[in-house]
Amino acid sequence: MNCDQVKEHIADYLVGALSRSEAEELKEHFARCAACKQEVAALSDTWQMLGLLEQEQPSVQLRPRFYQSLEAYRQGLESAAAAPARRRLFDWGASGWAASPAFRLAWSAALLAVGIIVGVGAGQWLGGRDRARGDLAHLQDEVHHMRQLVTLSLLEQQSASERLRGVDYANRVDQSDTQVLSALLHAVNHDPNVNVRLAAVDALRRFASSPSVRGSLDRSLAKQSSPLVQIALIDFIVDTRDTSAVPSLVALEHSPGADKNVKEKALWGLAQLQ
Amino acid sequence: MPEERADNIIMQKVRDGDLAKMAVLFERHHRALFRYFLRLTGNREFSEDLVQDVYFRMLKYRHSYRDGSLFTSWMYQVARHAHLDGVQKRKGEAPLFEVGHENTPEPASTEPDPGELLRRRQDLGLLRRALAALPVEKRELLVLSRFQNLKYEQIADILACDVGTVKVRVYRAIKALSEVFFELAGEKAS
Repeated sequence: MNCDQVKEHIADYLVGALSRSEAEELKEHFARCAACKQEVAALSDTWQMLGLLEQEQPSVQLRPRFYQSLEAYRQGLESAAAAPARRRLFDWGASGWAASPAFRLAWSAALLAVGIIVGVGAGQWLGGRDRARGDLAHLQDEVHHMRQLVTLSLLEQQSASERLRGVDYANRVDQSDTQVLSALLHAVNHDPNVNVRLAAVDALRRFASSPSVRGSLDRSLAKQSSPLVQIALIDFIVDTRDTSAVPSLVALEHSPGADKNVKEKALWGLAQLQ
Repeated sequence: MPEERADNIIMQKVRDGDLAKMAVLFERHHRALFRYFLRLTGNREFSEDLVQDVYFRMLKYRHSYRDGSLFTSWMYQVARHAHLDGVQKRKGEAPLFEVGHENTPEPASTEPDPGELLRRRQDLGLLRRALAALPVEKRELLVLSRFQNLKYEQIADILACDVGTVKVRVYRAIKALSEVFFELAGEKAS
């Protein structure tokens, strides 16, 4: 074994992974070469000292944060899974035999009749309960206001973990809350943390029916620096059948600076929307 | 390696929809991940954010986990990407390694000599500074091989290179660390 070969074996020597014959050869070399012997001894000392550095522990907040995020993620997936099911239900009427004019006319008449019966009956039943309904509405307003405050304040936090919690909270507010919607859109477009942006895209699915969401995400596609967020946005656009985003997808697909995977995804999105 | 096999099976379950099982992988690996990030960044809060990020990414990209692949290798691959992205995002913010972890416990020693203990303590402080002064690529090699106790084959898998390359890099990294350490010790002595 020469000096160069010794260097090749140092990594194994440090972790005790040399074979018996390699260890013998190394020992023989050390007997002839004081420089190598000295170098290996010094490196070995440093390696051993590294083992004496303390084993730091994470803070106690890390565990609850993880479990909160995991739960939020699971809930988000369940909501996302429920949304396409609802869409299929509505799609069903727009195709096949259900799309015929005769069927639609009959269906409309039946719905009108059911509506009148239910409306009259419910009006009588609810008549004596106006006060209770008023109290309940007031309570619901308060709860909603509290959730809105928590969401907006968490989304303003310095720590990315806290902002993620804010996005999680956004899943609990009313879908018509424009302030939370604006905060989520702002997070998608401006949050420095990619995970917060991704989570905000997911949270916006609940607000997908709002016209302001569609237009904003369409514009956001070109602004995003992260391919992950761009891909999440394309998924969102496809899932919501937002055909107004087609020009943005075309532009992205032809953009010379766009990530290869994003371009492929944009092409896929265009095919889905046609 | 029964524990590694168990990790692989658990991750397959997560991938197949049993997301709650990610909690098991959190309990088993979050401390190691935290230390990995702390050694790389020197910042506790940032390291905890990165640990969160890794589990979030593993959930989001769970479908990319392949049968038969080693969970810890995949996890560290995800962790490396999280670290690179995280550092990229922090550009322009306060420098990392601002938070020193100075509370060094007394090293295990049979020597009662207080002078020797003090010298040892000072050496560990210098070693920590030397480690922080290394380029991040070298520091990462030492963290993976020395602190995370990963085998060179596994590190090769994580870094997508061959084992021979890992061994050469480990040699260069420990040599660089040793040089910086002795340089700092020399400064202190003079």
